[in-house]
Amino acid sequence: MTHTHDHTPITVPDGVPGYYEIMETAMRELLAEKGIIHPAEIRRQIEVLDSRGPQLGAKVVARAWIDPEFRQRLLANGRAACEELGITFYDDTGLIVLENTEKVHNLIVCTLCSCYPRPVLGLPPDWYKQKPYRARAVREPRGVLAEFGTVISPEVEIRVSDSTSQLRYLVLPLRPAGTEGWTEEELAALVTRDAMIGVSTIEAQERKVR
Amino acid sequence: MTPSEELVRHLPTDMGGLPADRIDCSDHELLPWEKRCHALADVLDYHKILNTEEKRRGVEALGAEMIGKLSYYERWVVAFANILFQKQVLTPEELALKMDDVAARHAREAQA
Repeated sequence: MTHTHDHTPITVPDGVPGYYEIMETAMRELLAEKGIIHPAEIRRQIEVLDSRGPQLGAKVVARAWIDPEFRQRLLANGRAACEELGITFYDDTGLIVLENTEKVHNLIVCTLCSCYPRPVLGLPPDWYKQKPYRARAVREPRGVLAEFGTVISPEVEIRVSDSTSQLRYLVLPLRPAGTEGWTEEELAALVTRDAMIGVSTIEAQERKVR
Repeated sequence: MTPSEELVRHLPTDMGGLPADRIDCSDHELLPWEKRCHALADVLDYHKILNTEEKRRGVEALGAEMIGKLSYYERWVVAFANILFQKQVLTPEELALKMDDVAARHAREAQA
């Protein structure tokens, strides 16, 4: 069957920019010459993109684990609760935080494109944007999870949430057993990007480390 | 379902539930131009010129063959160009001439 990313690998001999990079540069310079954008805006936005990553989501999760009132506010309005922690939503998207429980495991996907909670997790990994994950997560989530080495007990319901351009999701993983009394920073260090997408659990990652 | 009906039911980017290969978990650091391309999209969004749904539709409008053969940010940059032409922010001629300039500049820099 057709593969969505069967393009030839990007080969740029001796660092000479290729066709698409030239198109990007030309478009950006033309827009700046016309006064539609300012070059400083691009540089500033690159700084914004570089400042976002799973460490922000991990802070949100750890806070929710230790502060029940914050957790309630987070589940009621994900964006407002993240903003309390100083995380701005530069892309003006809404955020729904999905709570994993002993009975429900959540998984997020964007079947149509690559919508992702960028303000709190940064840019998505390549696999999140490619066909195999997008196509299969909604039909056979357990098979997908198995490829990430994650096995969820058959009694636990798996709920898959499909993101849109306006509304993004973040998984609040289960707090691992044996972490009672840990500080917020210690807990945040356990939380991974994959657990906040739902392709992994924190327990599973701990076992991998040992 | 006939093959043509299948095309109607699933536009090329509408792939939820389709059969697909194993997941390739390898990742790559964005190239500088890819990150600039992402930043450009965000800045155009701030200026209300190009929003996320328009980007998505712009990629979809490239059609299945281009979607299959171009990489993620290659699809984006081509879709942005088409959208900016449609909105009469840029013309195809302007962009083509500017691309020639940029290519010539890179060639001079490579020789220097």
